[in-house]
Amino acid sequence: MKSFDYVITDPVGIHARPAGILVKEVKNYKDSTITLTKGEKSVNLLKLMALMQMGIKQGDKVTVTVEGGDEEAVCAKIEEFFKANM
Amino acid sequence: MALDYRKCAEEIAANIGGGSNVISAAHCATRLRLVIADNSKVNKEALENIDGVKGMFESNGQLQLIIGTGTVNKVYDEFLAVTGASAASKADVKAAAASRMPLWKKILKTPGDVFVPILPAIVASGLMMGIVEAIPKFWPAFGNSDWFSFLDLVANTAFALLPVLVAISSARVFGGNIFLGAVIGLMMVHPALINAWTVGNYAPGEIPVWHLFFFKVQQVGYQGHVIPVILAVLLMSTVEKWLHKHVPEMIDLFVTPLCTVLITAFVTFTVIGPIFSVFESWVLVGAEKLITIGHGAGAAVMGAIYPLTVVMGLHHMYNVIEAGMISSTGVNFWMPIASAANFAQFGACLAVALKCKNQKTKSVALPSSLSASLGITEPAIFGINFRFMKPFIAGMIGGAVGSFFSTWMHGINAKGEIVKFGATTYGVTGIPGIPAVNNVPMYIVELCIASGIAFAITWFIWKEDAPAKKAKKGAEEPPKDMPVVVRCSAGELKQPVEGKVIDRESIPDETFATGILGDGIGVEPTSGTVLAPFDGTVTSVFDTKHAVTLEKDGMEVLIHIGVNTVNMNGDGFTAYVKEGDEVKAGQRLLGFDSAKIKAAGYSDCVVMLLTNSDDLDDVECGLK
Repeated sequence: MKSFDYVITDPVGIHARPAGILVKEVKNYKDSTITLTKGEKSVNLLKLMALMQMGIKQGDKVTVTVEGGDEEAVCAKIEEFFKANM
Repeated sequence: MALDYRKCAEEIAANIGGGSNVISAAHCATRLRLVIADNSKVNKEALENIDGVKGMFESNGQLQLIIGTGTVNKVYDEFLAVTGASAASKADVKAAAASRMPLWKKILKTPGDVFVPILPAIVASGLMMGIVEAIPKFWPAFGNSDWFSFLDLVANTAFALLPVLVAISSARVFGGNIFLGAVIGLMMVHPALINAWTVGNYAPGEIPVWHLFFFKVQQVGYQGHVIPVILAVLLMSTVEKWLHKHVPEMIDLFVTPLCTVLITAFVTFTVIGPIFSVFESWVLVGAEKLITIGHGAGAAVMGAIYPLTVVMGLHHMYNVIEAGMISSTGVNFWMPIASAANFAQFGACLAVALKCKNQKTKSVALPSSLSASLGITEPAIFGINFRFMKPFIAGMIGGAVGSFFSTWMHGINAKGEIVKFGATTYGVTGIPGIPAVNNVPMYIVELCIASGIAFAITWFIWKEDAPAKKAKKGAEEPPKDMPVVVRCSAGELKQPVEGKVIDRESIPDETFATGILGDGIGVEPTSGTVLAPFDGTVTSVFDTKHAVTLEKDGMEVLIHIGVNTVNMNGDGFTAYVKEGDEVKAGQRLLGFDSAKIKAAGYSDCVVMLLTNSDDLDDVECGLK
C-alpha cells in the first residue's frame, strides 16, 4: 500500500470537472484500488458522485492511497496528476 | 457578507402588506411561517427576490419563507420588532390557519384529529374484544377458561384505559406536552378512583366524595369517556402555553408543568367532570323516558341518537337502564334499540369498506365493520363513519328504522308467555346478542333492516373525496410535465429545464462534451427553474447552489447549471431542496438568474448527465 498527502490548490476545489478528469485518469489503473481520504471520510476514486459529494475545497488536505497493481508507479503517476490538475 | 437581518425583515414586512396583515408569525429550523390575513396584499415575486429569502411557498394556509438555519431566528426577531406582531409558536400558527375554518367545522374535526392517530389501538382492541366476548355467548364453557380471562384482558386494555390514549393524542392536536397529556389521561382513570364502568353498582350515598373548597367531587374515574378527556387536555394545553409565555424562563421548567397539571386536575374534577355527570344523568333519565313514548317514535329517535352518545362516551351508562328493565319486567327491551343502532353503524362502515378506493381507508374500515358487527362500534364510528359524516348519518337513519321496527315485535319468555321483544341479559348487541334475545328470527330481521338501510344510504350518498384533495394540492405547486430526454435500462430522465435540448457533444465545455462525467444532454434554458427529472432522492446540493446530484434505482444524475459557474460562488442561484430530500418529477430543485450568469461571462447551458452511464445499458439521449 502506498499513499501521499496533498493540499488542494485549485480555487474551486474538486468540483465536477476536476472530479471528472480525476476519475478518468484513475480508470487507467484498473489493477489498483485508489482511495481518497479527507478527515474521516474515504471514497473510491472511481466513484464520481461520491467524490463530488465530499465537497473538497481549496486548502483541504487529502490523502490518496493506492493498493494493488504496481503501487509505486501508480502512486507516483497519480501524485503527478494531482500536482498538475488539482 | 453577513445578512442584514433588519433590512431583510423590513423588506418581508413591506411585501406582505405590513404588520397589520400578519395574523401570526413563527419560525422553525429554516423557515419563517406566517399566517396572512389578506393574501392579495402579498407580493410573492418581490418576496422571493429579497436578499436572505431563499424561497417561499404556501401550504395549509401558511406562507412559508425559507431563510436558513441560524439566520431565520434572527430575521424572525427583527420581523417581530418591525411589524409588532406577537411571538407565536408553530402550533399557534397552525391553529391560526385552522381558525380560518368555521367554528362548527373545527369542533367536528377535533374528535377525528384526536382519533385518527390512535386508530390502530382501538381497531385492534375493538376487533379482539368483539371476538373474545362473542365466543362465550355460543360456547359458555369458554367464558370460565383461563384463556378467556387472559384474552379479555389483552383485548380490553385499550378500552379500559382509553382516556390515556385520547389524552396523549389530544395533547398533540392542541399543541400541549404529550407527557403532561398522558398524566391527565392517567389521572382520570387512576385506580384509586371508582371505576366508571362499575359505578352503577353503587348507591348514590356510597360513592366517596372529596370536599374541595365549595366543590363536592365524586371520586369516580372517567373510563370509557372521550369528550371530558378532550376538554381536559384542551384546557391543559391552553394553560401550559399561557404559562410558557408568562413564566420567567429560569423557573419555567418546574413552575409550568406543576401549575399546568394542578390547575387542569382541579378544573377537570370540579367543573368539567360534574357538568358531564349531570349531563349524563339527564341523558339516562331522558333515554329511559324517550323509548316508551309514541308507539315506537321515541325508540326510533333513540336509535338515531344512540351513536351520538357513543361519540360522547355515554353509552356504557346504559347498562343501568338495561339492568333496571330486567329487574322490573324481566325483559331488556333497550337492547334491540342499541343493537339496531350499532348494527347500522356496521352496515354504513361496511359500505365504506367496499366502496372506497383508498387502501388506507379500506384497511381501517374492514376490521372496524367486523368489530361493529360484534357490538364494539368505536373503531367504526371514530375511525370511519364519524370522520366522513355521511356514513354516520346513514347509520343513524338505519338505527332509527331498526329500533322502530323492534318496538312492534314480541317475544316469548322462558315461561312461554308473550312479552315485549328484548333480551334476557345486558351488555351485548349485534351478532353476540343472538343467543340473548327472546325472538331470534325477528332479531335477525331487525339487524338486517338496520344495517341494510345504513349500507344502502351510505353506498349511494357517500363519495370518497380524496382525489379532489390531491388535485388541490397539485394546484398549489404545479409540477411541470416535461418530455423524456434520456432513456436507459434503469429508467428515464425528463428534461430538467424549459428550453432547447442540445446534444452532449454541443455543450460548450470540453469536460461535459467529451462525456468524462457521463452521458447526457444540455438545455439552452428559457426559464430559470431546474426541475427534478424523476421521482428520486437529492444526494447533494453544492454549496454554490449551481449543481445538484440525484439518485433513483441505480441512476446517478448530475444537473449542472452553466459552465464554470462554480466561480460565481452561489450569486444568482437558489436551492429549493437539500440533501436527502425526496423529490417528485417536475418539482423545482434550483433557481438561477440567466442574466447574471451571462453578465459574469459564462454560458447558462444546463447540463444533465447520467454520471454512471458506463454501468448502465442502452443509454439513449435526446428528444424522441
